[in-house]
Amino acid sequence: MSLLLDSRPQIILVLDFTVLPVRRPAQPSFPRETTHYLYVRANAPRVPTENTAREVFIKNVPIDATETHIKALFADYLGGVRVESVEFEDAKVGKGTTVPTLQGKKRKRGADDDEAKPEEVGQLPEVWDREVHRSGGTAVVRCVDRPSAEIALREAKRAVTTGKEIVWGAGVGAKVPPLGKARHFAHHKLRYPDHAELQTSVDRYMEAFSAQEAERTNLLARQRAEPDEDGFVTVTRGGRVGPAREAEAKMQHEELKKRDKNRVKDDFYRFQVREKKKDEAKELVRGFEEDQRKVEEMRKRRGRVRPE
Amino acid sequence: MAAPAAKRRKVDHVSSDEEEDVASYASFGSEDEHGEGHEDLEANGVNKNISEGYGTEGSSGNGKPSVVSNKLKGLQARPSNRVASGPGSQNGAYAKGTFKSSLFKLQVDELLDQIQPKQGKREKEAEAALHKIKQTIDQMPGKEPLPVQDVETGLFESSKVVVPFPSPRPRPAANHKLAYAKPASTNVVGSHALKTASRSMKSLEIDMVVVMPSSMFQEKDYLNHRYFYKRAYYLACLAAGLKSAHNDDFQLRYENFQDDPLKPVIVITPKSKLKGHSDAASKPKWRINLIPCISEDTFNSEKMLPNKNCVRDQSTDAEQVPPADSAASTPFYNSSLRADMLMTSYLKTLHGAAKTCDSYRDACLLGRTWLQQRGLGSSIHAGGFGAFEWSALVALLLQGGGPGGRSILSDRYSSYQLLKATLQLLATRDLTKQPLVINSGDGASIEAGNGSPKVWDGVRSHNLLYKMTPWSYKKLRNEARTTLKMLNDSNFDGFEAAFILRVDNDLYKYDHVIELSDSAVDDGSSRQDYMALESHAKLYDVLQRGLGDRVEHLDIIPQWTESWDIDTANRGATTARKLRIGLVVDPDTVNRTVDHGPSAEQKEQAAAFRKFWGDKAELRRFKDGSILETVVWQTSTGQTVFEQIVRYLLQRRFGDQIIETATVSGGEVTKNLPHGSASTLFAPTMEGFKQFETDIRGLEGLPLSIRQISAADPQLRHASIEVPTRALRPKPANIVLQFEGSARWPDDLVAIQRTKIAFLLKLSQLILDALGSCTARIGLENDGCQILNQAFLDVIYDSGAAFRVRIHHDREQTLLERMLKDKALEPSVKDTVVLGLAMYKRDYIKAPAHTQAFAGLCSRHPALSGTVRLLKLWFASHLLSNHIAEEVVELIAARTFVQPWPWQAPSSVQTGFYRTLNWLARWDWRNDPLIVDLSAGGDLKPAEMQSIATTFEAWRKLDPVMNRVVFFAASNVDPDGTTWTDGRSTKVVAGRMSALAKAARAEIEEKQLLLEPASLFSSPLSDFDFVVHLDPELGGKKRKAAKKEVPAFKNLEIDMVDDESNVGFDPLLDFTTELEQLYGSAVLFFSGGHERTVIAGLWNPQTALRPWTLNLSYSTTPVKLADKEKMQAKVNRDAILAEIARLGGEIVRRIEVNRH
Repeated sequence: MSLLLDSRPQIILVLDFTVLPVRRPAQPSFPRETTHYLYVRANAPRVPTENTAREVFIKNVPIDATETHIKALFADYLGGVRVESVEFEDAKVGKGTTVPTLQGKKRKRGADDDEAKPEEVGQLPEVWDREVHRSGGTAVVRCVDRPSAEIALREAKRAVTTGKEIVWGAGVGAKVPPLGKARHFAHHKLRYPDHAELQTSVDRYMEAFSAQEAERTNLLARQRAEPDEDGFVTVTRGGRVGPAREAEAKMQHEELKKRDKNRVKDDFYRFQVREKKKDEAKELVRGFEEDQRKVEEMRKRRGRVRPE
Repeated sequence: MAAPAAKRRKVDHVSSDEEEDVASYASFGSEDEHGEGHEDLEANGVNKNISEGYGTEGSSGNGKPSVVSNKLKGLQARPSNRVASGPGSQNGAYAKGTFKSSLFKLQVDELLDQIQPKQGKREKEAEAALHKIKQTIDQMPGKEPLPVQDVETGLFESSKVVVPFPSPRPRPAANHKLAYAKPASTNVVGSHALKTASRSMKSLEIDMVVVMPSSMFQEKDYLNHRYFYKRAYYLACLAAGLKSAHNDDFQLRYENFQDDPLKPVIVITPKSKLKGHSDAASKPKWRINLIPCISEDTFNSEKMLPNKNCVRDQSTDAEQVPPADSAASTPFYNSSLRADMLMTSYLKTLHGAAKTCDSYRDACLLGRTWLQQRGLGSSIHAGGFGAFEWSALVALLLQGGGPGGRSILSDRYSSYQLLKATLQLLATRDLTKQPLVINSGDGASIEAGNGSPKVWDGVRSHNLLYKMTPWSYKKLRNEARTTLKMLNDSNFDGFEAAFILRVDNDLYKYDHVIELSDSAVDDGSSRQDYMALESHAKLYDVLQRGLGDRVEHLDIIPQWTESWDIDTANRGATTARKLRIGLVVDPDTVNRTVDHGPSAEQKEQAAAFRKFWGDKAELRRFKDGSILETVVWQTSTGQTVFEQIVRYLLQRRFGDQIIETATVSGGEVTKNLPHGSASTLFAPTMEGFKQFETDIRGLEGLPLSIRQISAADPQLRHASIEVPTRALRPKPANIVLQFEGSARWPDDLVAIQRTKIAFLLKLSQLILDALGSCTARIGLENDGCQILNQAFLDVIYDSGAAFRVRIHHDREQTLLERMLKDKALEPSVKDTVVLGLAMYKRDYIKAPAHTQAFAGLCSRHPALSGTVRLLKLWFASHLLSNHIAEEVVELIAARTFVQPWPWQAPSSVQTGFYRTLNWLARWDWRNDPLIVDLSAGGDLKPAEMQSIATTFEAWRKLDPVMNRVVFFAASNVDPDGTTWTDGRSTKVVAGRMSALAKAARAEIEEKQLLLEPASLFSSPLSDFDFVVHLDPELGGKKRKAAKKEVPAFKNLEIDMVDDESNVGFDPLLDFTTELEQLYGSAVLFFSGGHERTVIAGLWNPQTALRPWTLNLSYSTTPVKLADKEKMQAKVNRDAILAEIARLGGEIVRRIEVNRH
């Protein structure tokens, strides 16, 4: 297998991806020069948008890639194309998704511009100064216009065929925050934000939230009060507040249970006793069969029972 | 109906009581007599009456084997049915009561099938040999009586056989003569004849008696060893005869019969056919013990009562004057001689028992196995209570022993009932104070005395337990008591612990072991063989008295006397013999520094106390005004108080030279723990938490009042490896804070999280205002998942105590559950909600409950804290900490304490740890759930156990390949069982854990006392595909040394500044978690946390060469294979490792690749 790898007949295409080898310099802790493979093609999502034409899709993005890295790659090696923005598959590692709440206070990085600004209030501060990405992840690179995207793809192909050497992160240098311990330390610092700042953020959020709530209650109240065009009144939630009502319901439930208990006991009639006995006998036999099965299994598993 | 139940309960208690309860025996007997079946449904639900047609009555499976009803004669699961009632038969279903449970019964059946003696090849060989030997003996000619001197030299010259005289040797001038005459009979006795020998024994052992003719003996020969001299000569003659006849076939050696130096026997083993094999290497397949004995009527049995003296002072010619002083009685000598007279009589008795009681043989086999697993045996060194004593005791109890001469056991008992009732007797009745007299016509003529136990067989007037010492008897009782408790534990299937596991390894059994040379404690007075039992009595007394309540149990284990050649007089070299003393301590008192003696006014006692302790005793006045004799021990000498006492006592009582040979071991393994294993180490932390709680509750101006503040952290349950107050940098301990309910909380998850932040902000403000001496700041977590908890409050006191507060709001659960029910939820969102719900339950409900329960258990068992910490260290040392939650480790360790069987709960960290490893090695996590009752008070009812087990089975059905749940660990506070394990460990990890534990167990069992504890904590890194070596400073251990250096890099300075703002900074953990998130699908990482600063990795086999697709979630290299159309993808290992190096920066020192 290693023979196959080393003989390395340059692979240019995988499916419709251009295989772009990127060299990464050796480091003291791992003194080996390595090659990383980027898979590049024009972006082709199932539902194209107006921007799709000027986008390039990259698979197998290095975990430490940043927008700066990608920009530098396109600028230095892929025809000097200018990149407008980069959207990584997982904006943040391990964060999964957020839950759509009523007004979608979901944070979207590089999201569509038409998203209403006022809903972005009350965000909590960032805790990382540099994100990393899942291994084997993807990114969509949006170039300034369609021709530049095409140039970039053409250049990528050419780079592969000519065997042009591409170095990852060349010229990025100090433009991005460092990795390693410094990054963790920065994270530690960011994690404990200033209390005043935090207070403001929470206040702004709560303000917006109560405004929404108020609006919603108004809406519901209106629905409750006014019949629609067919003359029906919508039944809606509201009125009394949730938790208090729930506690009451629980109490009611307990009460009912208690009353149930005080009714006819289950050993009142003769047939009840008889049936109970029968059940017990059945249970016993079932238990025995169960045990037999267990012992049988044990024998299969451990072989013979012998004192150690 | 109520009365028997009450009675039964009483009996139940007895089993755990020190005191014996005569009443229980009374009820025992009388129940038997009347044979009335109890109608009561058993209190604990083990037994249920089933309908009458089935014909079982509720007989107790719990307190004691109770009696079977009259109605059931014949229908009971009688042992004669056992063979027929193999698997498949219905009989077992009705075994409730006669056995612990049908599961137990089925297992016992299986065991009996396995150990039942069988007629095999070695049996045939042995029996052929028996015939040959018998023939030879029958043909041997008699020898004329000759004086001692002549026979000895004569025999040696003629056939090179030494006469194995006991010590003291016969005086040359003795006027009695020794002779050999044709034996009256030869017979096979013992377990082989009775078919009660266990097949699991390594070699087949057959006892053959040669009855010496009565004509050889005179009336007074029982005196002064004369019988034993004649016996020795007789034996030598037999040896000579056999040697001349069978020198080629058999090997003949002398051996002390059951370690009794008065009675040597000939051991006959086959000569190995292949000369190349040495005899020692391959154990012979069979051995025949040739035992000379005499008929029952040879001597008057009255002369051999235990209170008689049969060894008279021979220097003064006092033979004619019977000594008036019974203090000089020679019970061992008498009984030893008496035992020789009763050989055949006992054989008959046992045979009779086997005939009348169907399950007798099985009970003997079970008893034998039980004893064998506990290292108990008939030999003196093994305690003097073995298979023979067991069989004889059961046989006698079937005949009598109860009040009014009624029998204690019934013929109709099942084998399990026989076993349990006999154990009950051994456990509850102190036979040293209240001897058991069976079938004695004239009643209790046998008084208790000198601390040795007595079971007096009235018919044969013989003490069955004559070979037992006070300590071996105590050991037997302890074992019986433990086993009974175990059998009464309805949550535990005691079968394995009772019959399968070996219990006699010193490291599992004893907290400390002292090794001495045997000769050093022998003061010479006991050189005579008939005093064999007394030789260690002084040692026992001294240690017992000196250590007092510090030890629970003290066991003296002499070395076994080996067999010796028939042509040498060397009776097992006594000089080099080693002696072991095993001790089980009381963890509360073992290292107490002050011992109080009697008050100064009690002159006599005070003098005795001073005499015992010598210079160490001093008179002290105490706060309460009393003036007491006192012994005070130092704590600063480097030796534990326990060791100081032992050394002092040995030196004072047995001289200086003993100290050179003595080694005191125990507790070495705890040296691996930082700051030792004392349970008191966490006291300041717990105090700190209390203070914190008071401070918080004292705050004024909180918007809502506080309902509960609960601890939810290993540090607050005595279970963190690092001792919080001694750590270099405090790690905040998790606290859960719950406010009183309010209707003003928003009804939206995200808003709830923000409201929590607002609460925390308010709280921090109040704390800073009210308490000057601390810092409080809010940290963020779970960024990106807004429905999860977003923030916590770190409060760090200047004293170093640090806490991390999270707010618990119970509305969250309802909201999350409601979301889950929403069918329209996107799958990805659903995952988050599921995660949120799991986290909610874990962090706010299970963790506080677990913490409280575990802390409680720690205060009950002082050794638990150390055991848990050591076990965590073990997991960390083997790089398993990131896969196995701390709580699971805690449950594993707690199990050793709440289900300690077959031992009692460990009283030291060392035994706790070793036993835990032992169990871990045996734990079949695929099929067995781990269920622990942390309450230790029986909070976990059998019904709950059952439901937990059902949950476990459901999980296994749902996820048979164990992708999600590998370990199932439940407790009384967490019946779900997957809280800590869901999705955390993989089968690979679990398998590795088992393998490591097995290796550790093998090491412990092989090395025994020579074990090097550090070896248990190291495993090679070469097992992994690659190893990332991290900056060792990150472990937080070597910071002090580093401080002196001038940092070479700016960023290294960061952690030199170690103020409060760095609390919670843990790049090691952050880095490990990040790696798992980035490469989780390609690499399995192994981390040891702060204990071992390396991260090891295994490539996931799923990263093997496969067709290239877009959704491979790891870095790949495209590969074109000649025979495949499609492009293949190969994991790009080098690139990934290089990425790890880049990501880690200075954190990563070096990456080592073991395999490509």
